Amino acid sequence: MTLSRVLIANRGEIAVRLIRACQDLGLATVVAVSDADRDSLPARLADRAVCIGPARSSDSYLNPKAIVAAALGTHCDAVHPGYGFLAESPLLADACTATGLTFVGPRAEHLYSMGNKIEARRLAHSLGVPTLPGSDKVQSAAEAMDVAARVGFPVMIKAAAGGGGRGMKVITRAEDLPQAIVSASAEAGAAFGDATLYLEHYVANARHIEVQVLGDGAGRVIHLGERDCSLQRRHQKLIEEAPAPGISAALRERIHAAAVKLVSHMNYLSAGTVEFLFDGDANEFYFLEMNTRIQVEHPVTEMLTGVDLVAEQLRIAGGEGLRFSQHDIGFHGHVVECRLTAEQPEHDFRPNAGKITQWDPPAGPHIRLDTHCYAGYSVPIFYDSLLAKLIVQGVNRPDALARASRALRRFRVGGVGTNAAFAAFVLDSPEFSEGKLNTRLAETLIARFVRQEGTAQMGADRI
Amino acid sequence: MSQTLSSLSEADIRQLTQLIDSLERSAFDFLQVQVGDLKVTIGKGDPAPLAAPVSVPAPLAAPIVDAPAAAPVDAAPPTRAAASIHTTASKPASAPVADAGTVDITSPLLGVFYAQAEPGAPPFVTVGTEVNEDTTVALVEVMKTFNAVPAGLRGTIVEVCAQNAQLVEFGQVLFRLRPA
Repeated sequence: MTLSRVLIANRGEIAVRLIRACQDLGLATVVAVSDADRDSLPARLADRAVCIGPARSSDSYLNPKAIVAAALGTHCDAVHPGYGFLAESPLLADACTATGLTFVGPRAEHLYSMGNKIEARRLAHSLGVPTLPGSDKVQSAAEAMDVAARVGFPVMIKAAAGGGGRGMKVITRAEDLPQAIVSASAEAGAAFGDATLYLEHYVANARHIEVQVLGDGAGRVIHLGERDCSLQRRHQKLIEEAPAPGISAALRERIHAAAVKLVSHMNYLSAGTVEFLFDGDANEFYFLEMNTRIQVEHPVTEMLTGVDLVAEQLRIAGGEGLRFSQHDIGFHGHVVECRLTAEQPEHDFRPNAGKITQWDPPAGPHIRLDTHCYAGYSVPIFYDSLLAKLIVQGVNRPDALARASRALRRFRVGGVGTNAAFAAFVLDSPEFSEGKLNTRLAETLIARFVRQEGTAQMGADRI
Repeated sequence: MSQTLSSLSEADIRQLTQLIDSLERSAFDFLQVQVGDLKVTIGKGDPAPLAAPVSVPAPLAAPIVDAPAAAPVDAAPPTRAAASIHTTASKPASAPVADAGTVDITSPLLGVFYAQAEPGAPPFVTVGTEVNEDTTVALVEVMKTFNAVPAGLRGTIVEVCAQNAQLVEFGQVLFRLRPA
């Protein structure tokens, strides 16, 4: 292990996670905080906290120069970017390399290649990994119409520089396509600095299944199983689980093999996730994109396999080879994660900020909570609304879902509205418990939940 | 009390209202404001202040927030208490306390603080130097880019708080100044 002090370039629950992993490995920690996070839990847990800028992310957490300067100025030898923010920024990775800092993550070349979704698709396709019928870059509405005619409507317009659920539009009717191309291009340019678009056939009955991988950049690559993340609202995941329910052993093996093939070819370094779309009607899977970072839902895999993914990232970054071979990885029981956010489904998921007056999380065997929150913490207005991740393990899927539902119902949070009740509602729903998942299920359940809450409220009002 | 309030102008009251709105929406628990001779303390939640008063970062407009009179050092709130090996991201524990009537010039970014234009050159300012809004008081270097820090205010430097060639954080106090 060649590292001794790591700069944590992130905030919230993932910063806590990264600090703890460093501490477990005997590494010193410095956390870079914005002005709004000076008194946060990560600031208290790290050996040192340095303020890199004002609250606004663009001037702090999204500022590669401030991050590198903070790392150098505090004598760190590595930077861990977490997820989101600059986790997949080739600029940050290159700036680290240029100044002798170790970037705890993939090589910049893979941030570039997988960050371009068209190129990622092309690579997968060239290796025989199935991809959705679709296109490379579409330069005009006319070209888009040709592609759509070939793959069939509905089509999904995607931004080449997008990813993570951003910059996507579904078009059902041919007459809407030209206008959609124009606006999608403008939006992509504004949001990602790159207006390039591509098209894919849209699958109505889709599940999102992703495979966790680890590579040491010396030719060794393993997978740690798949996760099903189909429960998404507007492409943002709410609930994730492993293993993916209701798919055959043969299909599971093929998905794993496809992921390993891709990352082996790349001689991938560090942790990553290969995302696939599973078409429930065709019983086929297709490569979507690769995420070259540790992900929000990584604890699901950690609990299922017993492997500490962040520690492995640090070890790999510190020059150690992969400690496991594929047959060392075992899968135990069933794990489900619920993202607890400061959003209220009954108010269209409007985020709310404010002081947490009560924070009584569930605890016990088989329950893990990743959070930066505590009673008395003021949730800032400047960042995303993730408060905590509740990860629960059971001996099988029904056991895991029942435990998680009970845990959510015991989770008392005061001062800030949360989605806890909705998450429990999802776990208890017939569709979810029967494993009848697809990426549109969340919308159906939201509507049902809001109606139910509305009826309950009316009943309460009448009393 | 009503006599003092009636001496506030419309503009003062609007400014105060805006500050109250900002406090409401912010993560802070209290705010201390000086408007003329009137010092206003606005808080929410606990009556005791949990955060040290906010200094105005450089560059400064005409200040509407003053550092309060002699905040005693041992009033440091629990969250900022320094353990022996733990350093919080705030003004360093050894930083001298602000006197009445001084304003902090804080760093607008994180980087390496330089008191002079180049090695061997005299410092931009020292104690007693008179400055105006545009006077460069220091350089802060980030990744080879040198940023000039303006005083932001007319007045006299009364204290130099940062050390040459040391890392300074965003918001860290660099100088104290007595406004003209």
